[in-house]
Amino acid sequence: MLLVALLATGALAYYELVIEARPQAQGAQPAGKSAKEPAPADIIEIAMFCSIIPAVALALAGGWWVMRRTLAPVTALTQAAEQMNEHNLGTPLPRTGSGDELDRLTEVFNAMTARLNSAFARLREFTLHASHELKTPLTVMHAELENWLRDDRLATEQRQRVESQLDEIQRLAKIVDSLTLLTRADAGQVVLGREAVRLDDLLREALADAESLSQPAGVTATLEACDEVTILGDRHRLRQLLLNLCDNAVKYNQPGGKVTLELHRADARAELRISNTGRGIPPEVLPKVFDPFFRGDASHSQAVEGCGLGLSIARWIVTAHGGTIRIASEPGGLTSAIVGLPVPVDADRQKTS
Amino acid sequence: MTKLSPPRHSGVIRFRYDSDDSQASSGGSERNMRVLVVEDEKKTAAFVRKALQAEGFAVDVCHNGDEAWAGALTTPFDAIVLDIMLPGRDGLSLLRQLRQHSIATPVLLLSARGEVNERVDGLNAGADDYLPKPFVLAELVARVRALGRRGGESKPAVLQVADLRLDTLTRRAERRGVLIELTAREYRLLEFLMRSAGQICGRMAILEKVWDYSFDPGSNLVDVNVMRLREKIDADFEPKLLHTVRGLGYVIKEPS
Repeated sequence: MLLVALLATGALAYYELVIEARPQAQGAQPAGKSAKEPAPADIIEIAMFCSIIPAVALALAGGWWVMRRTLAPVTALTQAAEQMNEHNLGTPLPRTGSGDELDRLTEVFNAMTARLNSAFARLREFTLHASHELKTPLTVMHAELENWLRDDRLATEQRQRVESQLDEIQRLAKIVDSLTLLTRADAGQVVLGREAVRLDDLLREALADAESLSQPAGVTATLEACDEVTILGDRHRLRQLLLNLCDNAVKYNQPGGKVTLELHRADARAELRISNTGRGIPPEVLPKVFDPFFRGDASHSQAVEGCGLGLSIARWIVTAHGGTIRIASEPGGLTSAIVGLPVPVDADRQKTS
Repeated sequence: MTKLSPPRHSGVIRFRYDSDDSQASSGGSERNMRVLVVEDEKKTAAFVRKALQAEGFAVDVCHNGDEAWAGALTTPFDAIVLDIMLPGRDGLSLLRQLRQHSIATPVLLLSARGEVNERVDGLNAGADDYLPKPFVLAELVARVRALGRRGGESKPAVLQVADLRLDTLTRRAERRGVLIELTAREYRLLEFLMRSAGQICGRMAILEKVWDYSFDPGSNLVDVNVMRLREKIDADFEPKLLHTVRGLGYVIKEPS
């Protein structure tokens, strides 16, 4: 476009030059001819020039259009490759069907993503089946040990062993449950509810749980701020998120320590902050805290019960609600889980409907 | 009838079968209950059958959905224990079909996944109760018994175990005439335990019924709340009523 405009300006400048130069040229000519009448040669010259401009412009525009059209599949391919992740590998790129090199490239690209997609699908299938297959023997073992406990002849020592095994089975079942949830969430098989939820009510409820958890640990839990916030989401999962974070804040605390809960609303965003005192998390491990089975330094993890999947689940719940979660920590100081959740403008209205 | 042996040390009891139970609250109709167990995993099916038979129930076992469908159409069962994952017709489709054919037999769903979606799907399909695997066998038995009783008797407004009284209308708890202050959560916990007095309540069941959590929070939420409740109802009184059944859960019961 710029090029066409430039050419047009150039042509105009040339035309003006010719017209303005005319009187001088006429003056030098014999008097027989009228000064106002342009010479035939000039008319041809102007006409020719006038037709050149659109021709050039047209050729340029055409060339540009043809180029765009030819390169369009490349642009599409680039954009598609940019947007591709493990969740949309199944969507193939539309092909032109012309059989040219670019069409062939699209075909190869589609075949590659299809192979990747089936590899991901197999991995998810495997985990789903594995969790089901693991649950069955666990159920049998649980029932068997339970029946064993009913035997009066069992000596106290044996009884204690059986009881401890029952505890372990229940722990394993929890891990299998959490893994199944994460796998299903990853495969997009978990459907989240979308109702108006009063986040402040949920937080007050979570405080009661945090208090009962923190009391035996010698920790005090307090609600420092609680703005009224209504968001659209899955009540059940949001309660799970809050309990998860509160539970962590108590577990990684120290006797005499504190857990503080805050909820602030700023326009279209709710900020939830659950902080705890304690040893804190070294900066180099902060990026890893959301990874499954990550539990801080090895020496400490032994003392803390749990399966190391809580924060992975928390992250999934937050992102599934279109929010963000991060952990900020000063070693030896305060460690905070900071959750940002979008607040729809009409959430309050939907509540009443 | 299952009975629990008396406590041997504070709060913790050992658990065994006792055949001559004088406290048996079950009527004759329960003893003649006929239960269909639909479970493809043979060992699990055998355990469930044995546990239910020990309660005096008549038990039929099917290992796939089609067999169960044929059985449920021809035999009037008092309750069905139904696994979700089955070869052939799966548990949920079977349940929907039963309800479409106006067969209202109470159904207890069993599922390998303690997934909230599955619980909601199951209850929507017409299930009356839901138990995630691995379940506490004693709890399964208690829930089947409750299904058989369903509609038969109304819920009492005042619950009583020994000298512990809970008025569910005024939400007042008292023991030997002394008022016990309870938080909202402790009240719900006590009500649940007292409604299933004499039966072991597993942690998962308590989380589901008292907290409405169908996931395991991975915390000792149940345990710390039971401990606080025990402080309030048992610390200053004898005999102790709220007991821990190690490895399984909790029970409120009168000492025999």
